[in-house]
This record gives sequence, C-alpha cells and structure tokens, in this order.
Amino acid sequence: MYPATIDQYHRPKTVDEARSAYAAAGGEAMYIAGGMSLMQAMKSRVLSCRALIDLSQVSELRGVENSAGRLRIGAMTRYRAVGEARAALGPFQALADAADRVGDRQVRNRGTVGGSLSWNFVVACTPVAALACGATVSILRVDGRRESVSIDDFLQGPMTTALGEGDLLLGIEMAVPAGPASSAYGKWGVVTDALPTIGVAVFVELASASACRNARIAVVGLPGGPARAAKAEARLKSANLDDAAAFAACAKEAAAECETAADPWVGADYKSHLIERLCLEMIGTAVRRARSQLS
Amino acid sequence: MTREISVTVNGTVHRKSVPVRLLLVDFIRDVLELTGTHQACTYEGVCGACTVQLNGEAVKSCMMLAVQADGQQVTTIEGLAKDGALHPLQKAFKEHHGLQCGFCTSGMIMNAEEFLRVNPRPTEEEIRHALIGNICRCTGYQGIVAAVSAAAEEMSAAGTPARSGS
Repeated sequence: MYPATIDQYHRPKTVDEARSAYAAAGGEAMYIAGGMSLMQAMKSRVLSCRALIDLSQVSELRGVENSAGRLRIGAMTRYRAVGEARAALGPFQALADAADRVGDRQVRNRGTVGGSLSWNFVVACTPVAALACGATVSILRVDGRRESVSIDDFLQGPMTTALGEGDLLLGIEMAVPAGPASSAYGKWGVVTDALPTIGVAVFVELASASACRNARIAVVGLPGGPARAAKAEARLKSANLDDAAAFAACAKEAAAECETAADPWVGADYKSHLIERLCLEMIGTAVRRARSQLS
Repeated sequence: MTREISVTVNGTVHRKSVPVRLLLVDFIRDVLELTGTHQACTYEGVCGACTVQLNGEAVKSCMMLAVQADGQQVTTIEGLAKDGALHPLQKAFKEHHGLQCGFCTSGMIMNAEEFLRVNPRPTEEEIRHALIGNICRCTGYQGIVAAVSAAAEEMSAAGTPARSGS
C-alpha cells in the first residue's frame, strides 16, 4: 500500500488559495481533508492525482458556530472537535453522537465532517446524522459560485454527492428551532465503533411535552446508502409522546419501510431487527433530550 | 515530485527533501531511522502500531504523507524517555506485562500518553475504548489496560505535567 507518484503538494491557507491551486493544476488535482478515506484509496491505487491540495490549514473551514439562529460547522472540523463541541451543537447532538464513535481516537483526531460528507461512503455515521438534522450543505463550485444544497439532495447514493469535479464543500448549517428540539444517533457494528452495520439518527422538535412539531428519522446500513424513513417520521409527528406504544409503532414502521440486504456477517432480517431496536432507542433519547429543555 | 520539508521530531528540527508520496511512517523509519515506530498492517491504517503524535495528538503515521507534517511537531516513542528515565507509561507497560512481542507497544503508548492528558483519571472502560485503534495480538489486553491504569495513577499522584510542545 503506497500512493502513486504525486507531483505537487499544496497547503493553502484560504479557500481562495485552495481554488487557485486547483485551477493551476489543470483539473488533475484532489482536495484532501483528514485523509482517513482518501489516503486509503490513494495507497491502494484506486485514486491518484498530479496535485494534492491539503485543506488542513484553511482556518475559515474549521469550527462550530452558533449565531443568529443558525448552527454552522466548517467542513474541516475534525470529529474530535465536533464531539468536544457537544454543548454548542444545541439540538443537533446526533452529530456529536456520530463523531464520538467514528473509528478510533487516532481517526477522530484527523477525520473531518466535510471529508465524510464528500466521500459519502455507503455506511458512514456523519452523512446519516446530517440527514436527520436536516442540514444545508454549502458548496463552492469550481467556477466560483457559492451554492446551498439540502442534505437530502446532496447525498445522491453510495460515494455520490451533489459535488462535481473540483467543487469544494465549505460546511453545513442548520436552522436552530426556537422551541425545544434535539436529536440522537446510535449504531451497531461488528466491533466497537466500527462502520455501522445499521445506524439510526432521529431529530425531533417538540410542540409540547407530549407532541412533536417536526421529526426526521434517517437510517444507514441500507444498500443505497442513508435514507429517510418517511412513514416512521409521519407516525412520530402525529404520535402522543407519552405513549410508549407509539414509539414502538414508529420503530416497527421504520424497520418495515427500509429494505435491508444481507452481508457476509449479518442477515437482512437481523438488520431489520437492528433498525427497530435502534430507532426505538434513538426516538427515546432524542425526545428525552428535547424535553429536558422544557421548563 | 520531491519537496523540501522541515519537521520537528522529538524536539529536533529535520530538514529533508522527500518525495511527495512518502508516507510519514516511512519518513520516520527510513529517512530519520527512528525505528521505534512500527508498521504492522502493511499501511492499511488498521493496526495502530505506527501511532505517533502530531502536534501532541495521536495519529496513525501511515495515514498521512510526510509533506503534511511540514512545519509541524512530531513526537515518537523515542521522545518519551527523558535522560534515560522511562516515562511512567513505559515503566508501567514493563511492570504490568503490557507487552509480549512488543510490536504494538510504541503505538499503544503514544496513543495512551495523549489520552491520559485528555482524561487523567480514566475508568477501565474508558481505557479500553481509548485503545480501540491499537491492536495487540499477544497479551489479550489485560496487562495493557492494567499498565495504562497504573501509569494514570502514578502520573496523577506525581502531578506529571503535560509535555512541552504538546
């Protein structure tokens, strides 16, 4: 495992410098974020490039900021920083739940939110958590236009996103609801903190202690990548949150509407079982977290 | 193809001309000849034996290029003992049978050293969780967990300060 020859290495300090470096390389360049996926692909010669543009010193792409009712997370914010910023994430704690359990300490010290979203591996934690949180993705197109894309439109399938050749993901942002709201993410993998065999992320916004105003449920571990469980969401939105049976019904609905496929370790029926169990647990956690904001 | 880099490793500045594609682990082992950092999984990023600290944070050195460490501080296992006196973690690994073949040990210790600065009084579960990225094929981990726990106690009791530069 060794990368093919790389002619140039650039480490820009600003987004503008990064774009200039990309343009100067004549389209044979790649941006590298934390490199936790890209380096593997380069070492196994799945990918190669003439110029590598390292975004690690672009400070404007780093950080978690909660202001004017918007929560922004820069693309180069590392998992470790996302986990440490749990309090600042407000209702979007599912992102910290995900970041805290990616890989191992060494990976969390390097890997980034933007890297994970751009790579959009078929089973990964950040994309599904961002999907449940209803993120908006900020993109700098290769021609210099800035664009915002909803996460639902951004994630287009395994390893496919709304990013075109040379586009740069700048970060994600979410509107912070005025009322009580929270989220949770949990996964089951074949070893601790592994890529999810199944992962479920739930976001809820409460109208009152016993009623939802809004709910988003996203599941990962499906053959087509992360997906919303729309029927389960609809059921949760109209559920009485004091009724434990209503949560169980939502979880059952999510398992029923998500089509699973067996892999060498886990059968399809067991994955459906995992969806149901994790969904039940995450609805409970998200609702409990949101309720704790009610005075 | 090649690029001049300046990397501070264990406090010493090294200026070298290296191929852009050279992995940091190979820079440390083959160029600087600091062979305490090991490579156990053929650069797949799964074993953790090549763990070093980049600006004080544990990273797998097969997962990045040497050029990415340009201008940065790297600490390897050779940088831990001071004036021939073992670091409390090194001493504890020795005393608590935290190693048999020793191949994973430097990575274990470089990860654990940063972990104990973040969490100086960890529970056993927290120690086990912190070491997920480091694979040991000999010990069954009992001695390793005992060693990290003992080092944490010793360092907390002694008020061992965080190393400079980290």
